[in-house]
Order: sequence, then C-alpha cells, then structure tokens
Amino acid sequence: MASVRLQGITKQYEDNLVIKGIDLDIADGEFVVLVGPSGCGKSTLLRIVAGLEDVSSGTVEIGGRVCNEIEPAKRGIAMVFQSYALYPHMTVAENMGFALKLAGVPRAEIAERVARAAEILQIGHLLERRPKALSGGQRQRVAIGRAIVRKPAVFLFDEPLSNLDAALRGQTRVELARLHRELGATMIYVTHDQVEAMTLGQKIVVFNGGRIEQAGTPLELYERPANRFVAGFLGSPRMNFLPGMLAGEQGTAVHVRLAAGALVDVAADAARASPGAAVTLGVRPEHLRVEAPENGGIPATVTLVEYLGDSTIVYAQVEGVPEMVSLKCRPDAPCPERGERVSLAFDLGHGHLFDADGAALPRAQAG
Amino acid sequence: MKARANLAWSAIGAVTALVLAVLWVAPLLWAASTALRPEHETVSAVFHWLPQTWTVEAFTKVLGAGRVGRWLFNSALVALLVTVVTMALSLSAAYAFSQMRFRGRNLLFAITMLAFLVPFEALLVPLFRIMNQLGLINSYAGIVLPQVVAPVVIYVFKQFFDTVPADFREAAVMDGAGPLRILWNVYLPVSGNIVWAMAIVTFIAAWNNFLWPFIIVTENDMMTIPLGLTQTYDAYGVIYAQLMAAALIGALPVALAYVLFQRRVTHGFLAATGLKG
Repeated sequence: MASVRLQGITKQYEDNLVIKGIDLDIADGEFVVLVGPSGCGKSTLLRIVAGLEDVSSGTVEIGGRVCNEIEPAKRGIAMVFQSYALYPHMTVAENMGFALKLAGVPRAEIAERVARAAEILQIGHLLERRPKALSGGQRQRVAIGRAIVRKPAVFLFDEPLSNLDAALRGQTRVELARLHRELGATMIYVTHDQVEAMTLGQKIVVFNGGRIEQAGTPLELYERPANRFVAGFLGSPRMNFLPGMLAGEQGTAVHVRLAAGALVDVAADAARASPGAAVTLGVRPEHLRVEAPENGGIPATVTLVEYLGDSTIVYAQVEGVPEMVSLKCRPDAPCPERGERVSLAFDLGHGHLFDADGAALPRAQAG
Repeated sequence: MKARANLAWSAIGAVTALVLAVLWVAPLLWAASTALRPEHETVSAVFHWLPQTWTVEAFTKVLGAGRVGRWLFNSALVALLVTVVTMALSLSAAYAFSQMRFRGRNLLFAITMLAFLVPFEALLVPLFRIMNQLGLINSYAGIVLPQVVAPVVIYVFKQFFDTVPADFREAAVMDGAGPLRILWNVYLPVSGNIVWAMAIVTFIAAWNNFLWPFIIVTENDMMTIPLGLTQTYDAYGVIYAQLMAAALIGALPVALAYVLFQRRVTHGFLAATGLKG
C-alpha cells in the first residue's frame, strides 16, 4: 500500500489550463473521492496519477517515490475505467491475467491470482466467458478483478459506476466499500455523483474549474462547506441560497435582512463583514420547516409538491429569490398544499452565510 | 399500387443484375471454352460458342511443358510477401498515426496521403534505377519492395483505429504493454475483419500485378504468372488455347482465396465503412 502526494500539479493543453495548481496528500489506505462537475479536471488529475497524462508542472509521488517519469505499469497502480475497457477478444480470465502475463509471471501463479480475485468478486463462474456475454454489473466486477490481480498499491477508479442502473449502482457502492475494507489499499475514485462521493469517501475533494474548492471528510464538507460552490454541490436537493445583507449582530447571532424584507438570524462570525455588506444565506432543504405565517420567518408560496415515498419535497417561491426554494418534509410532519402561503423557518445553527465572493463566513456555536 | 411499383423496380433490378452478371462471366466462359478446344479450332474461320472437340490438351501442355508451375510459385511467394509486409508496415504506420502523439505526425500523415496523387507509372523509372543500384533486378526483393507501400491501406486502418475506444490502449498501457504489443494483442484482434479484407485485396493486387514485374524481371524463372502468360507463344504466334488455359490456372488460386475469405472480406469492408463492426 502507499500514500500519494501531489504537489503543484498543473496541466495545460495548448492555451487551455485545465489543472491550475493542485496540492493534495492522500494517506496510505485512504479512500479519497474526487468529485466535481463535468470538465472540472478531476479525471485529468486521475490520469496524471495513472501516468496516462504528463504534468505541465509539479510532482506526483506514490509511496514516497517521484513518479513523473515512471511508466504507468511501473507505478504500482491499477485503474478501473469508466467503460471498463475489457479486451473483447479475451476471456474474463485472460483479461484479468493479461498484465501478469506481460510481466512474465508464471502461468500457474497467474491462474492462482485470477482465481483468488474471482473468488473475492464472486465471478468464478464467468472466467471462461468473453465480455460481450456479460452484463454491465459483471463487466464492472471483471474490471475491478483485473485491477485486484495486480496487487497494486493504489487503485484508481474513473467513474466506474456511471454505466450501471440505479439499483446496481447502490449495490456496487456497498461492495466497493467492502472491498476497500478487505484490501486496505489506497483508493482514488473520480465521480460527478455526490451520493457516491458522500457514501464511499473517507475524504472528499471537491473540484471546480481545475482547482480544489475544499477537501475533507464527508461530514465536514456537508456541515461546514468552505464556499458557496461546495455548499451547492453536495446535497440533494441542493442547498437553498437567498440573497440578503448583514443587518447587525447580537452575541453569536448575525441578523440578515433578506431581499424580501424578512429578518433572520444565523449563528456565524461576521467579523470579516461589516453591516450592510451583501451576503447570501444558505439553508439545506432538510433544515427548513414550515411555520404558520403569523409566526414570522420567510414568507413563501408553495408552487410544487413532490411525493417521493420516504419524504416529500416542497418547492416554494420566495420574493426576491430567483430560484425556487426547496424543503424536505418529514414523513410524519404535515406538508403544505400547492398554492398555500407559508412561512419558512430554520434553527439558528442550520444557516450558512457566504460573502459576496462566495466564501463562507465562519460558523459560530449557536447559543 | 405501391406493391406493384416495388415489384416493377425489383424486376428491373434483377434484369440489370443478370445482364451485368452475364457481361462479367462471358469472358471467363469464353476463356474456358477456348482452353478446352484443340488449338486448330481456336483459329478456325467458323465461329462456335462451344468446342467441337472437347479436350484438356492445352491444360496438360501448359502444366507439363511450360513453366506455369514455376510462375505460380513465384506469384504465390511474391503475393504472400507483399501481403505480409504491406500489412505489417501499414498496421504499424496506421497505429502510429492514429494513436501515438509525436511531433510532425500530421505532416507525415499528409505526406503519406499525398502518395495517392502520384501514379505508380510515374515512379517506374526512378524505382527501376534504385532497384538496379541495389542489385535487385530479377530478385524477389526487387519485385516485392516497391509494392509494399500502400497509402490507401494505411488510411483505412487509421480510420478504423480512430474508432477503437482509447480506453483499450490505455488499459493495455496500464497493463504494461508497449506500442507493438498493444497493436498485436489489442488492436489487431479487434480489427480482424478489416485486416483480412485489406490482406485479400493486397494479395489479389499483387498476384495480378503485371507492370512492375514486367519492368524488373527479365529472366523466365523469376516471372510471375501474369508475366508468364505473355510467353505462351510459338514460332507461329500466340497459342490461344494454352494461353487461356494458363490464364485460368493463374486466376484459380486468387478466385479460391476470394471464395474462402469472402465473408471476412465483406465484413471487413462493412466495418471499414462504419456500417457494421
């Protein structure tokens, strides 16, 4: 197993700088998820670690060894591709053993290692089949098996679940987590799916525009997003953003006057901003609740109610907010009807404040 | 109404196909008819579609007395060498043009494609001079080498390689394979039908090539079958029955090769056009 250290990584294609200086430490045995929107550079960074792309500047260290000039096959890594990239003319066993064959491993040992990996992944009965005779889920397992037989120090996954249906994705997520526990290997996983990121990653690295927006545990990123991008990227439905301005503070509570005139309190440290400064209030849908209009709060009109079985999503229009505000109704709580005028409220500690540049104001303990 | 129109078009299509088939097969049948009659009948003033006396005399004479066996061997060796070397060169070049990144790649590819524009006839004299300087006149190498540069084959392979997902190559790179290994173990197996199609076409073209062997070969023993056919004459002129017998014998291996690999060739061309993989 090995740690991975990326220092000052940049990648430029002609005039296009796609990676803009990445510093990242990945501990030995850690499961790190690189997440971000399409085109943010996360896959390029993974390919740089793999050695499939050269860096424009910076160093890639794997297991304490600078790997910039080392061929992909000699970096001690294995990669699972989004398309699985199984050789169509080879059987499953041949696919899994190909790297070992090229490395000159004796045939008996190849067979043994392939059989062991097949046992871990429960694909022993598929070894003589060709990829076209496999389902999507089976192909995915074979692709993982091909990585396992090499006993790499670092596993790289490039959106490996994106070709699976929702049910299989969920199941495979669980299996990947189990695999990580069993193998104890360092794993770097790229996805644009925040659910995969939140459920699999011990550490999540949120990418945007070739830069790291924030890196941390899933809980840290969810509860203390560093900026508006991270706050909006993680969570479904996404965090609600309501424009407003600082209206003063009292103890740990900051008063925010929303565009529609409502005054709300948020537990934040506003030392960085002065009264009157433009801010954005962020509240997650599960933290918003419906109050009777006479109780104050943020006035809103319900425009759509989505029943999802385990919960209900209510979409409401708030004056001065261009996008619809969403809130999750608990199954046991009554939900408003479409067209109903309601008042929205949240607990002091559940609000987030972002300055005009989108950076989060430090959160204060709700008193 | 529509069904009747369709039927009419089908009938027109069938008749056209039949006429074309007859036009195509007529010379072949005439060659067979000539080869299967005694020599004196071939120059008879009275025209007969079929031999008045059926005989395989021309075939036995050609195979027994002539050098057809030697010419067939030469043709087979030359066509095989041209095919193998052309495939090896074209596959390697196409892989490099399609999958490898190096300075001047596009320029080199453009220059290779420009070779399309130069007719082989224009190269005859310089090629002959080069072969002469290399001492390759009347040698297999002299016959083979100028035929192994095939821009069209490189182009077809490159176009196909461009459609093979890059993930295959990258997976092979991660597995520790170098460019030749990737070409041999990954790209070649997935492009099997196209390689077969191009190989058969190259083989047939090399087998039938007359012009270059005619220039480079002067010795009877080094002649290929198309060249050898020109030798089928006696003191009184061309011996038609033997000429046709030799032509049929010469064409037989190519026809057999095509029949044997017809399915692969068809699939290969379909794959090359992108209609079917």
